[in-house]
Amino acid sequence: MQQFPPARGTGISAQANMSGMESLQHDLARMSRAPRLSAAVDNVDKIIELLSAAREQVAGALDPHTASLTMTKLQNPIKVAFDSVNDNLKEVSSAHKKLGKALDKSFPLKPLPADHDAMEGHEPLIDRAIAMHLLREGQFSVASTFVSEALSDGGSGRYVADVETEMTDHTMDVEDDGDDDLAQEVNITSYTTSPMSPSSSISDGHPLTSLQSDKLQAKFAQMYSILQDLKSRNLVPAIEWARYNSAELEARGSNLEFELSKLQFVWLFKGPQVNGLPDDPFSNGRLGALAYARQHFARFQGRHLREIQQLASAMVFAPNLAASPYNSIFATDDAFTDVAASFTREFCSLLGLSAESPLYIAVTAGALALPRLIKYTTATREKGTAWTTDNELPFETPLPERMLYHSIFVCPVSKEQTTEENPPMMIPCGHVLAKETLTKLCKGTRFKCPYCPSEGQLKDARQIIL
Amino acid sequence: MADLEASKINHENHLLLDQPLLRLPYELLRKNFRSAHFTFEKESTFVKNLLKETATGSLNGRTSPEDVVKNLDIMLTRMRGMKRKLSTYADDENKLYRQLDARVSHLSELSDMHSVEDVKYETWSRKRLDRLLVDYMLRHGHTQSAVSLSTERDMRDLVDIDIFVQMDKIKQSLLDHKVSDALSWCTENKKELRRNGSNLEFMLRCQQYIEMMRTGDQTRMIEAIGHARKYLAPYNDTYPVEVGQMAGLLAYRETTELEPYRSWYHPGRWTDLANIFVEEHNKLLGLPSFPLLHTALSSGLSALKTPACHASHSAQSRNNRLTRATRATRAALSSGGGGGGGGNGGNATVNDPTTTGSSHHSTSSLTTSVCPICSTELNKLARNVPYAHHSKSHVEHDLMLLPNGRVYGKERLEEYAKKSGLPPAGQVKDLVTGDVYTVDKLKKVFIT
Repeated sequence: MQQFPPARGTGISAQANMSGMESLQHDLARMSRAPRLSAAVDNVDKIIELLSAAREQVAGALDPHTASLTMTKLQNPIKVAFDSVNDNLKEVSSAHKKLGKALDKSFPLKPLPADHDAMEGHEPLIDRAIAMHLLREGQFSVASTFVSEALSDGGSGRYVADVETEMTDHTMDVEDDGDDDLAQEVNITSYTTSPMSPSSSISDGHPLTSLQSDKLQAKFAQMYSILQDLKSRNLVPAIEWARYNSAELEARGSNLEFELSKLQFVWLFKGPQVNGLPDDPFSNGRLGALAYARQHFARFQGRHLREIQQLASAMVFAPNLAASPYNSIFATDDAFTDVAASFTREFCSLLGLSAESPLYIAVTAGALALPRLIKYTTATREKGTAWTTDNELPFETPLPERMLYHSIFVCPVSKEQTTEENPPMMIPCGHVLAKETLTKLCKGTRFKCPYCPSEGQLKDARQIIL
Repeated sequence: MADLEASKINHENHLLLDQPLLRLPYELLRKNFRSAHFTFEKESTFVKNLLKETATGSLNGRTSPEDVVKNLDIMLTRMRGMKRKLSTYADDENKLYRQLDARVSHLSELSDMHSVEDVKYETWSRKRLDRLLVDYMLRHGHTQSAVSLSTERDMRDLVDIDIFVQMDKIKQSLLDHKVSDALSWCTENKKELRRNGSNLEFMLRCQQYIEMMRTGDQTRMIEAIGHARKYLAPYNDTYPVEVGQMAGLLAYRETTELEPYRSWYHPGRWTDLANIFVEEHNKLLGLPSFPLLHTALSSGLSALKTPACHASHSAQSRNNRLTRATRATRAALSSGGGGGGGGNGGNATVNDPTTTGSSHHSTSSLTTSVCPICSTELNKLARNVPYAHHSKSHVEHDLMLLPNGRVYGKERLEEYAKKSGLPPAGQVKDLVTGDVYTVDKLKKVFIT
């Protein structure tokens, strides 16, 4: 693969034009007093008044003399009135021009890449992503409106129908796409080559669709209802959920169930004055907490013994917790927020979804990467190369750390990212190289590490999974 | 990678996607003004002339006082009509100024933020996403969704529903084989269309002609010839080939297989017309030719995508396994008398032999979130874009190689060991496979 020069200079311009939008705001504020069309309307009213008055006079007298006199006298005022309307319009127009100049100055037009739309023809997939986004945001009514509108718009809705199928039936291989997309593309260019078959695919999977996005909706509705309960300090539904899914949560290395139970203990411990639960000494307050611990903490002992012991020791300090070393365990405000956040993350992860909306992340990343892309497309426009046809972007698009989700290994020799075909290999001295690099480095079966004096044999190098 | 640099908001270039947000109301202001001006010119010329005529007529006695009153009534009607129209334009103007205000203040909120890590930025960026979604919905004619989303998010001033509804109406009328709406739109924007060198009006006139020819009815065909003389002949210099073909169409019926006549008769032309109209409409208002969401997505998906996102052992396929394991464990749980928790989930069947045994074999990484590209929403869509270019490795600190070939950061291994309840020090557990190893089997990995 060709080696690309590293993009130079990260920030395109360090001296950000901070005042651009603010100065525009300033200009616009001034324009709130700028001439508007309403002034012209007022002047038209004057014309109407003049005409009405004249009509009254002529109609009242109905003699030729009054008529001609009135009409002659009317000429000038009407002309003046029309002129002032005209002046109003001129002022309005010049206000618009000023606005246009202010826009150009503070917010100069920078053309977006327009010659190539990599997303074209993939609307059904975008529709699906949007529907899922709306559902996970809890915008259920918008989502159902969108699904029905997208469905009535040709066959594209089929993908929305797929959502649930893919969500639950994972036996379907990820690889088997492509042909659907192709079928979509055909719709666009069909008529010159084949007789039109407008929206023949509409009926595909129709009846199932609403039902299935209902299923996903039900899942997110459950999530929101649990979150709502957490907000009102009711941990029970969340604990039940975590309990129900404890095997997967543990497998993910998540402590959610214990964290929730611990918080429940603390919450009960605080007693009815704080938690507002029924004042029953056996299910609330210190005794209630103790009872809760006896009933539930046993199953956590293997993994969380130390923390359970801590909670138990805190009992001793009960009368004066604030001054005890356990104070921090018993501060609940942040704990509820934290637990809600990790609940959301685990809930989505178990659905195979990322915790934050992928659409949100992608669009935000898109806005961050766009300046680089435009810079590149502008520079290469003459050559007419489409940036989307390669495997790899030809330029770097730095994103904030939290937007990097996978480990990335760039071979220090070839400067290429490792892939499935060209995986990272660790050589005996512990250094890592891309497989292709290693093959090229070999003299016979032996090679010398480019980073330390040690030598090795090809058979001793082993593929690693980062 | 200098993270600080990457999360800094580059104010000068951060609003590229938001250009139409301000440009559109501005263009609409101009358009609104042009319409107002046109109304004024037309009506004022008429009234001025009539007034002059009436005055002269009245002076030299040719116009009776009754006729003077009649003329004054006509003038009044015209002026009242003009007032009504101008008031509408004035209202629209106020609305557009209000929108501009709202939009500029929305955009200037960004000036106070300097990093994408700023909590306020997330709120702002979510609003941007909502705007882009509404734009996407409107461009596809999903008006109800657009209205309901923008109302829900209280951002009606930040989106352009009216103009797209109008556009969609004309587009739909074309798809319903009607030209009148599109033609009157052409008349409204005659000057601008001519400046853009648009062939829309000509194409519409051709279609009218074709539809008359299609009937095969003698009188309609004669009508068509009259139509061609009036509306097509003037285009002879600009589109000589097409005008010639229109003339040729006289000789061919709808059923012809001969090109180009077959194509002219093809009903698919209506879709073409609708597309031409949309294109011209967007060009006229300075709107990008495809939804902004497309631009944002194609750039964003690429920036986020890594070779791992579509590898055969990707999170997607890993999730598959996870789900299967889930079903089994859940069934085990409900049959094994798992207390008060859980619903009445699985059937109390015997454990699936394929998934029990090592129940922890199928996990994704330690409480990390699923990558957005690997997540179901975007995975298929991202197949069509290239992955991001990186010039530096991005890996955890202190990498350790497990005997099974998998590499993890030391910290994460230790944490997972602790969480899994392994004895303190001495053992680690693979985060993906669940294999347990003693620490002395680990090897340090050097990433240069």
